[in-house]
Amino acid sequence: MEPAVQVENLVKRFGSFTAVDGVTFAVERGEVFGILGPNGAGKTTTLEIIESLQKPTEGRVSVLGLDVQSDAAKVKTRIGVQLQASAYYDYLNLKEILALFGSFYPSKVSPESLLDQVGLADKAASRMSELSGGQRQRFAVAASLVNNPELVILDEPTAGLDPQARRNLWGLIREVNGRGVTVVMTTHYMEEAETLCNRLAIMDHGQILALDTPRSLINQLKASYAVKLTLDKPMTVAQLESLNGGVELVHSEEQSEETADEDAKAENTYLLRLANSPTALRSMLDEIDKAGLGLENLQITPVTLEDVFLEMTGSELRD
Amino acid sequence: MIALVLANMKMMARNRQAIFWALFFPLMLVVVFGLFDFNGVGAADVSVIDQSGGPRAELFRERLSEIEFLDLEFEDLDIAAARDKVADGDLGYLIIIPELFDDPAGQAQAEGPAPVMLVYSTRNPDRNQLVDGAVRNLVSHIQSGGAPVIPSQLLTADVIQVSEVDYFDNVLLGLLGLGIMTNSIISIAVRISTFRNQSILKRLLVTPLPIWKFFAAEIVAHVILALVQAGIILSLGVFAFGGHVNGNIVWVLAITALGSIVFLNIGFILSAWAKSPAAASGMGNAVALPMMFLGGTFFSTAALPWILPELSFALPLTPMLAALRDVAIDSEPIWETWPYLAAMGGWVVATALAATKVFKFG
Repeated sequence: MEPAVQVENLVKRFGSFTAVDGVTFAVERGEVFGILGPNGAGKTTTLEIIESLQKPTEGRVSVLGLDVQSDAAKVKTRIGVQLQASAYYDYLNLKEILALFGSFYPSKVSPESLLDQVGLADKAASRMSELSGGQRQRFAVAASLVNNPELVILDEPTAGLDPQARRNLWGLIREVNGRGVTVVMTTHYMEEAETLCNRLAIMDHGQILALDTPRSLINQLKASYAVKLTLDKPMTVAQLESLNGGVELVHSEEQSEETADEDAKAENTYLLRLANSPTALRSMLDEIDKAGLGLENLQITPVTLEDVFLEMTGSELRD
Repeated sequence: MIALVLANMKMMARNRQAIFWALFFPLMLVVVFGLFDFNGVGAADVSVIDQSGGPRAELFRERLSEIEFLDLEFEDLDIAAARDKVADGDLGYLIIIPELFDDPAGQAQAEGPAPVMLVYSTRNPDRNQLVDGAVRNLVSHIQSGGAPVIPSQLLTADVIQVSEVDYFDNVLLGLLGLGIMTNSIISIAVRISTFRNQSILKRLLVTPLPIWKFFAAEIVAHVILALVQAGIILSLGVFAFGGHVNGNIVWVLAITALGSIVFLNIGFILSAWAKSPAAASGMGNAVALPMMFLGGTFFSTAALPWILPELSFALPLTPMLAALRDVAIDSEPIWETWPYLAAMGGWVVATALAATKVFKFG
């Protein structure tokens, strides 16, 4: 069986700007595939080419074995799409919107059943303006399921939602995927990508920097723990570099003018990564002692996708 | 597509504020114009054809020009053409001074005075009475020389029967065209601009709905709304203010629908350029307002200076109003207005091509 999505050497240029720069990946049927990256990474452009909304400059994209350029109409009948920040008609209620969108497809699911699936059955007669942010996003997912699709494409489905609403939506996405529907989604929430996605492509500046399962991506890092320590005095770069035992400086939190008075403890705080070695932590603390520095605070956590992203892109996730 | 047409109509019906304002402007003008008495006795435009050319005829013409409410023109007109102008309402009165007016011998031979002919239509009965009386008295005074004569032998009235029509009837159709134009242009421009800003157009593009069905559904729903709007405007004008629609109402509605399509296409074009719904509204007004004055909504385009009367027919509203008035007031069959319909058809094609070229979904 063909993959759900096959992207080969995809390039998209807007004038002299290259939004997508030679991207290749395949999404297997039944998986939740995530594209993780900051705004401007090329995620949405890639999705819009898969959805036939934009034409590629170079490369080829097929969905469910169909070419998205020559078979666009057939592709559209078999996929469901939730666009980033898409609204729906103001003067129709939820049930009417779903009935209208359903009328565009040869086969459709009843509005009542869709609203029930996303927990909005009691809002059938409400309009979009009467919904909370989380309810709107759930409705957008419901609207993407109106044709009982084989593949659902969700563009930042949880953007702007509070943690509770985000977790509710994760449950919904898992439920949809549990019915055998392939899900391709973009996000810039690390935790979401780690929790939901079977496989993940990390994208920045139009290119895929890494593609694997979240666990494998994390395991690829040399370090296994992230350490945040606060010292009584600043450490010089030379002292930091002299720390051995698999210690790597990731970030030094400079004291800013705003925090100087309110939070003096932000001063002399460093983010480090430690290799998974029993001697690494002891060795680091010994070095700090030798340098005559006092330890004021120490936090140790396992590395996450955030660390993978920092490693790959050399920067934090841009909003 | 039927589902989309119905959904469009439902959305338009629920947007009560937009409907209110779309109807409010033309209806307010119907009320304002309905309250005026445009049929009061004003100046009467009179053409005089002098077949006599004698001194008595000259005296008659001089005395005529002294009557204040007569606006005289002495033109070398063909009688038949001048009579047609009276019948069409382009001329109020025609006075024909006969050849024997200054020829007593000829009159004697004809066994009676040569009567002056006064031609007018039934459009303005009050003014007709006044003009008829004034001209009759003047002829009597000049021709009788003080001797008793029978007035009916001195002046013959040629009264052309026309359908009952007045200025308000003309304006009512102008307001109908105005309402359809402003509502079609501004409503679609703002609606599409809103849909684009909210990514609703993009959302529709990821469904298998063919693009032509989207446009067709918008046009059908708006044309139905335009017909309802036409019904309300005409009903108010006719039933509340005594306006008249003499012609076939089906033809009136057919012209309304055709005009609505032209203006919807213009709205689609504007929506492509507008960056926001507010900009779309402003652009719609900028296009509609000049057309309101140049297209003959309130006054005949013939009153425009320079070559503007001819140029005004290049605007889509002018042929629409001309066709509406020919059909509704003069009871002409719709096919008699084919030059206007052809002009509107040209606009439909040209604006549809332009809209297809410039329209943007995202």
